Amino acid sequence: MTETLNQSRLRNYLGGTFLTLVLLTALAFSLLVLVPKFNAYALPGNQRGYEPAQPIAFSHRLHAGELQVQCLYCHSGAERSRHAGIPATNVCMNCHRFVSAPLGAIRAEDDAAKKEGREPRRVVSPEIRKIYDALAINDQMKPDATKASKPIQWVKVHNLPDFVYFDHRPHVNAGVACQKCHGPVETMERVRQVEDLSMGWCVNCHRAVDRTGLDGKGNFTAASAPAAQASTPVSHRVYASIDCSTCHY
Amino acid sequence: MSSGNKHYWKALEEKEGGPEFLKDAARDLVERGPRHFGRRDFLKAAGFTVGTAFATGCRRAPLQKAIPLLSQPEEIVPGRCLFYASTCGGCSAGCGLLAKVRDGRPIKLEGNPEHPFSNGGLCATGQASILGLYDSQRLQHPLKQGNKISRDAADREILARLASIRSQHGAVRFLTGTITSPSVLAALEEVLKSLPDARHVVYDPVSNSALLDAYAQTHGTRLLPRFHFESAGVIASFDADFLGTWISPVEYTAAYRAGRNLEERRVSYHVQFEPRMSVTGTKADQRFAVAPGDFGVLLTHLTGLVAKRAGISLNWAEPDASPVPMSFLEGLAEQLWHARGRSLVLCGSQAIEEQVLANYLNHLLGSYGTTIDLERPSLQMQGNDQDLESLVRELHAGKVHALFVYGVNPAFDLPGGDELRGVLSRVPLLVSFSQRMDETAFLAGYVLPEPHFLESWNDTEAVNGVASISQPTVHPFGETRSLLETLSAWNGKSKSGYELLRESWRARVFPRQKKESNFDAFWDRSVHDGYTEVEAAVFKTKPFDLRAVQPILRSSAALDKFALVLYPTVSMLDGRNAYNPWLHELPDPISKVTWDNYASLSPAAAKKLGVNNGDVIHLDASRTGLRTLELPAYIQPGQHDRVVGVALGYGSKLSARFAKVGPQWIDALLSVGDNGLVGQNVASYLELKNGVLHYSSTQVTLSRTGKQRELACTQIHNTLTVPEHLRPGGSGARPIVQETTLAAFLKDPQSGVEDDEEKEDLWPTDHPYTGPRWGMVIDLNACTGCSSCVIACQIENNIPVVGRDEVRRNREMHWMRIDRYYSESDHGQVDVAHQPLMCQQCENAPCETVCPVLATVHSEDGLNQQVYNRCVGTRYCANNCPYKGRRFNWFNYSHDDQLQNLVLNPDVTVRSRGVMEKCTFCVQRIQEAKIEAKRRGEKVVDGAAQTACQQSCPAHAIYFGDLNDPSSRVSKMMQNPRRYRVLEELNVRPAVGYLTVVRNRDQESKEEQHG
Repeated sequence: MTETLNQSRLRNYLGGTFLTLVLLTALAFSLLVLVPKFNAYALPGNQRGYEPAQPIAFSHRLHAGELQVQCLYCHSGAERSRHAGIPATNVCMNCHRFVSAPLGAIRAEDDAAKKEGREPRRVVSPEIRKIYDALAINDQMKPDATKASKPIQWVKVHNLPDFVYFDHRPHVNAGVACQKCHGPVETMERVRQVEDLSMGWCVNCHRAVDRTGLDGKGNFTAASAPAAQASTPVSHRVYASIDCSTCHY
Repeated sequence: MSSGNKHYWKALEEKEGGPEFLKDAARDLVERGPRHFGRRDFLKAAGFTVGTAFATGCRRAPLQKAIPLLSQPEEIVPGRCLFYASTCGGCSAGCGLLAKVRDGRPIKLEGNPEHPFSNGGLCATGQASILGLYDSQRLQHPLKQGNKISRDAADREILARLASIRSQHGAVRFLTGTITSPSVLAALEEVLKSLPDARHVVYDPVSNSALLDAYAQTHGTRLLPRFHFESAGVIASFDADFLGTWISPVEYTAAYRAGRNLEERRVSYHVQFEPRMSVTGTKADQRFAVAPGDFGVLLTHLTGLVAKRAGISLNWAEPDASPVPMSFLEGLAEQLWHARGRSLVLCGSQAIEEQVLANYLNHLLGSYGTTIDLERPSLQMQGNDQDLESLVRELHAGKVHALFVYGVNPAFDLPGGDELRGVLSRVPLLVSFSQRMDETAFLAGYVLPEPHFLESWNDTEAVNGVASISQPTVHPFGETRSLLETLSAWNGKSKSGYELLRESWRARVFPRQKKESNFDAFWDRSVHDGYTEVEAAVFKTKPFDLRAVQPILRSSAALDKFALVLYPTVSMLDGRNAYNPWLHELPDPISKVTWDNYASLSPAAAKKLGVNNGDVIHLDASRTGLRTLELPAYIQPGQHDRVVGVALGYGSKLSARFAKVGPQWIDALLSVGDNGLVGQNVASYLELKNGVLHYSSTQVTLSRTGKQRELACTQIHNTLTVPEHLRPGGSGARPIVQETTLAAFLKDPQSGVEDDEEKEDLWPTDHPYTGPRWGMVIDLNACTGCSSCVIACQIENNIPVVGRDEVRRNREMHWMRIDRYYSESDHGQVDVAHQPLMCQQCENAPCETVCPVLATVHSEDGLNQQVYNRCVGTRYCANNCPYKGRRFNWFNYSHDDQLQNLVLNPDVTVRSRGVMEKCTFCVQRIQEAKIEAKRRGEKVVDGAAQTACQQSCPAHAIYFGDLNDPSSRVSKMMQNPRRYRVLEELNVRPAVGYLTVVRNRDQESKEEQHG
């Protein structure tokens, strides 16, 4: 008899109502502490619509849309590496050595100079000056001792979790258009994430490609059309694997 | 388990089937019972956990930045690796390597496949040396008496002291290890010339000085020859561990392997005589355990037998009885003589007379000019113990005014203990160039740390005629300066290492070749290739001096005491690797012990003494002034009964940091011993006398202490064998290692293979493998157990170090392990077989069917995938795996040491607690190869995807590739009649095949092999 009593006393501290009270208190406490952190439930749609402000107001609409600079001109890593990469500042300088301000501002300075009878001064727009500041050069493209060079810290828009090893190369080299995943970037003033980039979304496309071709109409790139598939080396077939280790290793 | 009649075991308890083994082997299955916790309480707790996990897990991903370079060089693409050829600085052998550089820093080292003597292999030390670069305990700036000092101030003060020493004609000594850099030697020469009494003393902590001295006696020049194992048909080695730690093991392993090619029916015959079991002994066709004091007599007997065949009458007196049966020696002499011109006799002893006898044997057998190259000798070991002994005498007499120490740690690796340390600390100017605060740097007045070899410019000429470059692969981390730069600065030339090297090569190396006339082109090519072949310097040797040859008639083996044999291990070498946790956790190839050194005893000796594994014994040396030593005992089959072996290189100050290296939880034990260090330093048991450093001259008496220290030994972890009384009725032992003899093999290449009939598959169309199908074949005959693959896998796949306590609990994390099996041989000796084992990527994987969340599934190209983010940690898969190839993360093993984390491979997930992991056939490398091939529109070429283990193996024992490609090497190997699969009878259809061990013996059946 004594044993049973002792056992039940012990059990009190391990289970029963005592435990329930403890757990409820803990749950309440953690909710109180963590509620302020619930500022963005992001489950449905992940980061779709994410459109962060960037350190320099770079407009894809102007460069990729109006001026028709190729995606791979700046994001050259996309066909050579896993990461498409943000262009290094020296890529920007390829043009912005010469292009220092919008056309309107330059014309305005030209007109003003003509009116005042002097040489037109170099106009540098504030956004483009940020590039020069990063490189520690002055408006005349010469090293400026008063500035300290610092790489530009862009905000990454399309983020995948660390356990996903996405590689741009097979997609770009298979002929997948950038817009398919990144949306109509050439119309965006500020880049935003258009697709939710969830695993299900990726897998759906992988499953569909082998059945209905890259464009959904049964068309593959010429070298990997179904008739040619059999004789094409395995590694070159348009073959979107749905093995887990394609992305998770 | 047995192959035919041979019975295999991994540990003695397993052989005897005692309860010890059962208890330990079943430890995997032992659980502690849970505290009383009812069902409803469990559900409440579970519900609460899920609720908070849900509540706290949902958050917007944190802000991530993408920061490109300001000005990107055209060859640097983020995410792509660049490979730079360099030379390994892990030891003085000078193997070529390729450093894989990613994001501006090296993350992996690989052997350079084009290097003339390392042939693409890299040993465990070389692989692990990359961690030394990212060591937060590396000294980052010069020190004076332990305090930071600017380099200019240090230079000024040292030069001022040297100037005053010069004016007083004081003695200046440079004490270094073997320096193979012609540029450094030239700069040092200049410094020495400027001082009236200055000498360069070279010593190797693991010395081969007697070998060089013997050549001075027999051939007139002190040199270390190059041994050509690939041309040797008969190899007789007297205590030379050439596949493990002797001189240049990577080079010798590759050459030895080339001489044992079963497909071409060209197999050498290798006999090993040694006091304890070494890696080389495990590969020998015949092996004898001989006490160190008996080697002289043994060599004398063999010389007599060979001389008789050569028609030379030696007129020597009768030596003591041979420790090895004369009938065997007759047979060996006959073999050596028959193969003269293709024979090779090696001696690893530090007794000059024994080395001279070995030289004489080689002379009689015509090895000079064929298997031994004296004209283009090796420069890998240049130590001179006579110089060392006179320096030590000078130090004791207080005659040395300045001592500069580079590349060695005399306060740790020389005998003399506290007395020597006291003498060193009393040298007026003691300067150390050590990378870390080791024992000598601790005593030094000035420490001018040198950089790691991966962050500085250096050159090497380890082998005469092959000049190598070591180029930096990353910006130097601190204010370190290479020895070349330091010496040149002191000579008045303050230039960068790059400029100095170019100058030196223009003057010294460039004129030695005729292929290129433009120096810049020559330099660029040399840096690109990592090495260049130049005209070898001529070494004039005299004809063999027969007067030097003297017989050794008396054995010096004590009959009542034990000979203490001190040896370097594959992981620690002479102690230089004591900072490296990977190498501490690497199971020793023979004993499988980690994080400790121990006193190894033969089974008979242990039985007589009444000790078991882990019992601490007392070693009492007869020499005065020696501290007594207490070490845990370890039973080593195959060791001589009157020998106790202890490893050098342990008990270093550098290992004090590992006290709490594993996960710190309530039951955690320290990874260090009572002395606060890993293992114990036994250097005081060496003897420096008569101009030679002796490793086995001390004799000890042993006694039990009654204390215990459990050794973290992995030899019975993950056992595949089943004890006899547990086997299903009628079944035999599992044929895990299958072997045969050469005689049987020549008759039938499939001899030894226990073939199981192909069973019917219930799901034949489950895995069609329309594309590539990855498979692997491991040649057990080539594998020496060097464990370079284990370390390479650890580095490539971010495998954590768990510490001694966790290893004791079977929780070591190595994806690839090398199982070492003993079996009985004739004349009471043991045979050893090494079997590298990893996840077998089974087609009918037992792990795939039991995962409740499908975290492990089969891929379309034959891999058994492990998806870390899906795994919930049920561990059912590991339970079901017959090969025990899976590892579970019991804790969060990753550390916050930021610097060390730079070595992590960004292409492989770092697993957190609760996740199962296993070998993936380096799927990240396979993916890279496939994607690159797709990018170029080509097929994946055989060899484009190489696993880390395959790439690192010095013996090229691992074949990997596409089994669906009939022209790939691995497909051909799978068709090899020697190929079998482990546990084939389970019908799991592993993708890994093994080739049988073929020992070069005459007996044709296994019955004949038993004594």
